[in-house]
Amino acid sequence: MSTSSPILTVRDLCIDLFTARSALRPVDQVSYSVAAGETLAIVGESGSGKTVLNFAPLGLMPLGVSIHVSGSIRFDDKELVGMNDEALRKLRGGSIGVIFQDPMSALNPARTIRRQIAEVAELHLSLTSTQAEARALDLLKMVRMSDPEARLRQYPHELSGGLRQRVMIAIAIAAEPKLLIADEPTTALDVTVQAQIISLLKDLQKRLNMAMVLITHDMGVVAGIASRLAVMYAGRVMEYGPVQTVLTAPRHPYTMGLIDAIPRAEDLPGSAFRGLPGMPPVLGPPIPGCAFVERCRHAVATCETTRPLLAPTADRHVLAACPIVNRSSEALHAG
Amino acid sequence: MPADTALLKVENLVTRFKSVERGKWVKAVDGVSIHLNPGEIVGLVGESGCGKSTLGRSIVGLEKPQSGRVLLDGVDLGTLSGRKLRETRRAIQYVFQDPYASLNDRQTIGEAITEALIIHGVSDHTEQRRRILELLDQVGLPAVLAERYPRELSGGQRQRVAIARSLAVEPRVLICDEPVSALDLSIRAQVMNLFLTLQKELGVACLFIAHDLALVRQAASRVYVMYLGKVIEGGGSLDVYARPGHPYTSALLASVPSADPRIEALREAPVLKGDVPSPTNPPSGCRFRTRCPQAMEICAVNEPATVALSSDHSAACVIAEQVHRGEVIAPKVH
Repeated sequence: MSTSSPILTVRDLCIDLFTARSALRPVDQVSYSVAAGETLAIVGESGSGKTVLNFAPLGLMPLGVSIHVSGSIRFDDKELVGMNDEALRKLRGGSIGVIFQDPMSALNPARTIRRQIAEVAELHLSLTSTQAEARALDLLKMVRMSDPEARLRQYPHELSGGLRQRVMIAIAIAAEPKLLIADEPTTALDVTVQAQIISLLKDLQKRLNMAMVLITHDMGVVAGIASRLAVMYAGRVMEYGPVQTVLTAPRHPYTMGLIDAIPRAEDLPGSAFRGLPGMPPVLGPPIPGCAFVERCRHAVATCETTRPLLAPTADRHVLAACPIVNRSSEALHAG
Repeated sequence: MPADTALLKVENLVTRFKSVERGKWVKAVDGVSIHLNPGEIVGLVGESGCGKSTLGRSIVGLEKPQSGRVLLDGVDLGTLSGRKLRETRRAIQYVFQDPYASLNDRQTIGEAITEALIIHGVSDHTEQRRRILELLDQVGLPAVLAERYPRELSGGQRQRVAIARSLAVEPRVLICDEPVSALDLSIRAQVMNLFLTLQKELGVACLFIAHDLALVRQAASRVYVMYLGKVIEGGGSLDVYARPGHPYTSALLASVPSADPRIEALREAPVLKGDVPSPTNPPSGCRFRTRCPQAMEICAVNEPATVALSSDHSAACVIAEQVHRGEVIAPKVH
């Protein structure tokens, strides 16, 4: 694991959203950190808050929602919580690169690939438009685009999903960011293309020594690229630790359930699928006890009323928000 | 497995669409033959644009095939028309991917199911009510949901309603197009288990169209793999997954990331380069040859014949036997 000090440190982050009708808390006291050259994966199901967690502090939220952020996000010795829009705009696409899930809706359909990449280089690296367009070609080569000269003249609709995602990545790294946030970068792609994009992201991260936060729901992607993992449920981090340990010996009952649900090679055709009982919680106001209590087979009475905080487990590198595993992690594993 | 006892048989089916390029056609399904035995779950896998959904839609008549036959119990649906065709076709029902789009917002769940029951000739109100409760129970939903609207339901519940509605006409075959890919991970298992139960208890056969290979492996006894409009491999799931005969199947399996970091640490460079070519202008000869690590000159000339690897396993590749024996591109075991 990286020994360098973290480039991004999130402490006790809470995000409240107020819509016309309701007050929601999609992010509830979340803490984590990422160092240069390191990849943190944030996994969770829909509504777990993993996207809001990363995008709200950058000022990326739907219109018509008012938002309140508390806690602290230190990025590169600057505090992001409470930062003004102008300063945030400089960071976005500058020292923080962003890759979205759906490249088709993230790209401008009416502009050539050349213009879209060059625009970022002009804005953040203060290049002239000729310099920026030359840089666009270099970037397409960096993301291993086939026939890069021809691609520059094309429009997004002329490209396949995999090529569009490569363009998105080229835009995200145009200003050589210190942090790359990738929101489900391969979810919309086919599995053979996904393998290529993951290999590309790993390679670029090494070359640029970027810190990377990868938001995903696919444990296979996590295992292939990340060094640390935060498992989210209902806006809270349930388990946090090295990927190796969390994926092979999960401690929190939710993580255990998620990993157990992945089909294994020894499962015979026609055999029952393993999963979790019940349904994930609907996004709402803060929950008083543990958010997972209704689906947890280890729950005791206090789980309903007292919120378990993230605390070191028997393996001190792994943190889990569950008093049961923290009290007797060995016993639970045996059971 | 003899195709003669098959419940559903598709022979040489071709479905084409007009291309955006003038005068050109896209053969989304290009001469596909598959079959389903009674009460069997069969997987249909492939990447986007391979024609798997178009094939499913052509079977139920949502697309009009240009040529080929769809037979149910040996009866060619193409020879039927009008009422007879509608009645026969009712035995084949379709479950859509998106449970948010396939239900009418303004109908209660009970009304949505009633509509299907009326089509099935159940006009008596008491009998309708009884069947609604029975169907909701079969898909594991509480009776109170009959009075609710789709917006009050979760994605998993909606998909169960869509399944209940397709069961209302007592079908013998379900064509399920990515029925769980819009659902959360922890909910998927619940809906997949519902399909397994329906198959066991009602004997409904199921063509399971999906891109998730692990899901299909566990649900289906047999599997077909499609690439650019063609079935390139078919056979028993265990055999196809353990010893694929087509380099594409092999590469597809090798591309699925494992959730075990120890296995991922050993991962080598991706097996396949580039994207699937445009179906408007597919490569000559073998359609996979432009991405195939094993491609030879002959592959550009002749379309490969289907090679039988066992009584129940075949692949359309000139080196299928070597691939099957693991002599080239050994599949990753996970």
